[in-house]
Amino acid sequence: MDFVLTQLAGFGSAMSALIIDPLTYIYLIVSVFLGITFGALPGLTATLAVTILTGFFGNKVPLDYSLIALLGAYVGAIYGGSYPSILLNIPGTAASAATAMDGYPLAKAGRGGEALGLTTTASFIGTLIGTLALLIFVWLLLLLSQNIASPEKALLALFGILLSGTLMSEDLVVKGWISGLIGLAMAMVGLDPLLSEPRYTFDWSYMLSGFQVVPVLMGAFAVPQIMDGMRHMELGQVTELKGRIVPNLRQVRRYLPTISRSGVIGTGVGALPGVGEDVAGWVSYGVGKSVSREGDKFGKGSLEGLLSSETANNACIGGALIPLLVLGIPGSPPAAALMGAFKINNIIPGPTIDPEIILRVVAIMVLASLTMFVMGLFTARIFIKILQIPKVVFLPIVMVLTTIGSFSVGGGINDLYLMLGVGFVAYFMNLQKFPIAPLVIGVILGSLFDETFRRSLLISNGDLSVFVSRPVAAILLGLNLALIASQIPLAKRMFQRLKRKAVS
Amino acid sequence: MQDDIATLRARDFWGSLVLTGLSLFFLWRTFDIPLWGENRAGVSSAQWYNSAAIVPLGIFSAMLVLSLILMVIAVRAGGARSALSRIGIGWDGAEALRFGAIAVILFFYIIGLVPRVDFIISSGLLITALTFGFYRGEPRRMILSALAVAICGAYALLRHLPQAEWRAHDDDVLALGIWLGLTLWAAMQAKGDRVLKALPVIAVVAPVLLVCAMAFGFRQNVPNRGGLIFAQIEYHYYVTLRPLWRP
Repeated sequence: MDFVLTQLAGFGSAMSALIIDPLTYIYLIVSVFLGITFGALPGLTATLAVTILTGFFGNKVPLDYSLIALLGAYVGAIYGGSYPSILLNIPGTAASAATAMDGYPLAKAGRGGEALGLTTTASFIGTLIGTLALLIFVWLLLLLSQNIASPEKALLALFGILLSGTLMSEDLVVKGWISGLIGLAMAMVGLDPLLSEPRYTFDWSYMLSGFQVVPVLMGAFAVPQIMDGMRHMELGQVTELKGRIVPNLRQVRRYLPTISRSGVIGTGVGALPGVGEDVAGWVSYGVGKSVSREGDKFGKGSLEGLLSSETANNACIGGALIPLLVLGIPGSPPAAALMGAFKINNIIPGPTIDPEIILRVVAIMVLASLTMFVMGLFTARIFIKILQIPKVVFLPIVMVLTTIGSFSVGGGINDLYLMLGVGFVAYFMNLQKFPIAPLVIGVILGSLFDETFRRSLLISNGDLSVFVSRPVAAILLGLNLALIASQIPLAKRMFQRLKRKAVS
Repeated sequence: MQDDIATLRARDFWGSLVLTGLSLFFLWRTFDIPLWGENRAGVSSAQWYNSAAIVPLGIFSAMLVLSLILMVIAVRAGGARSALSRIGIGWDGAEALRFGAIAVILFFYIIGLVPRVDFIISSGLLITALTFGFYRGEPRRMILSALAVAICGAYALLRHLPQAEWRAHDDDVLALGIWLGLTLWAAMQAKGDRVLKALPVIAVVAPVLLVCAMAFGFRQNVPNRGGLIFAQIEYHYYVTLRPLWRP
């Protein structure tokens, strides 16, 4: 009980500090507006919103305002993706792909206003569920994580990269793993963290400090998006918005069980390292379809289907912040961008993070979701107008934003060359269906993995049993091996045979 | 769907070849890093388990194995057979032109223009070229836009390659002239099109706002501070405007 009261008191003081500062509101309104706009415009993503704002706000304003800007954009963008899904049948972000399945049929049936209103409410409640989980679990995990040492950290980083590679692959899982390995390889460039031995620098002094995170993020997420999006495309007619957007309380109460269930699923999926909002949306949609009484109506205009995915993708945000803050392992691609912002502010997320920062993050999340809720209900028609801007108009501006943001973080032209190089590589990887998120997570976790893996061996004098002699490390090693084995055909066949035997 | 898979496997075949080559190259480079406790200038470096090469060695070995697995999957699915066919490449002429034009524009913008030409001029040219070139998907416009950026970028790059010459203004003037020319051409083609009509305003306002916000709002470094237009803005900001509220 004391623990809960202490938590609430800490949260209260962080919240009141934010509320009495007038600048908070300016940052909140601007960032949530920008976030919803980024989410609403098909071709721009939540990751891109957070990445671009990292370039602008990352290290130029005090950390509090920087966090408001980035988290506000994150919350806004995940929600904003629902607009084109419902009104155009084009998901604004990957996270809203499942939303289009039921949102568009609802809008076509003249229930667009109702769908948007409920989506806004569900996204708001979903974000709050994720934030509550963040407030509670982050502390429990922080207490546990005090016992996590180098072997566990190394295995956890590896697990994050492998899991992200496994779950984010559209095509073959092996491509996701290769993508993660490319990211890890990129993190090896520069002076190594223990002996300061130069690696793959090719006698270029710029390479001694390794690849900077922000240009890599910009290159990986923005440049391919611009290269792929610059094509002539007739946007479909935006479905006319009929009915009132503000939902009635009775309806919200009726769907509360669906919203709560999806919120919990979204938070859980978000807490898995490296797995993003799109997976959360689809998992929740799938669960909803199998447990709901109107499961057969999913895909034909079911409000439950719509709320299943929309609640989960917003709840995923809070979940994704748990591994980021506790272990320094991003829970989703936008969280990876957020980690970049932490890094350029010299904050190392993980067991040693200042608890005050966690409380501030929770308070900002609550305020950001409230701002999103109000904006979603009362300024929806502005975002519907924004939907009609062609991609070829805003993508060139995004390129300029990306360039100036990337330049200003490091202050060097070489960062722009790096951004362009990574961008071209990421474009071709996209073309071949290699997921990009594991690459970025690999870049971010690479140095942690390198340092902790070698430190583990150093303290054990090269004895590899250090990875099995500690209980948590043994469990993590088992998970890593199981994840790899689950993709080996022979192991798969054996597992299926065992399953059949068990059934018979 | 079948064609998509066939294309993907053919591309995987090429991809796996590239990845195998890269893995082998970097494995070879990794052996430059002391691994077995070598001596350097009489000082013994670390043990094998603490060597800076141990993790990269694992990464590139794993990448080599996975690349070979990808190659086997691609070959089994017929990727090697169709690798040089139309299906295998998976790009038609129109897509190749689109990608080529964008690649040229981005390359010359980042490599040639941003370091050497005023940021407002180079970004205005970029916005005009990309929007005008790709708005209707017409190949002629794409080629014209790519040429406009390529000429300015190549001139700046070749004429002022070393950093010591980046402050020169002749490339700024050339880029400004070509930007104006492209804008006029776009305006003539507009014929009541709202996007093309608004294009000159967007191309001027967006970079000016962004660069001013970054330089004076966030007080950050911006590319090419001594550029033709930005140098004037900066001068008047500090000499004419700022004394109004901070004498």
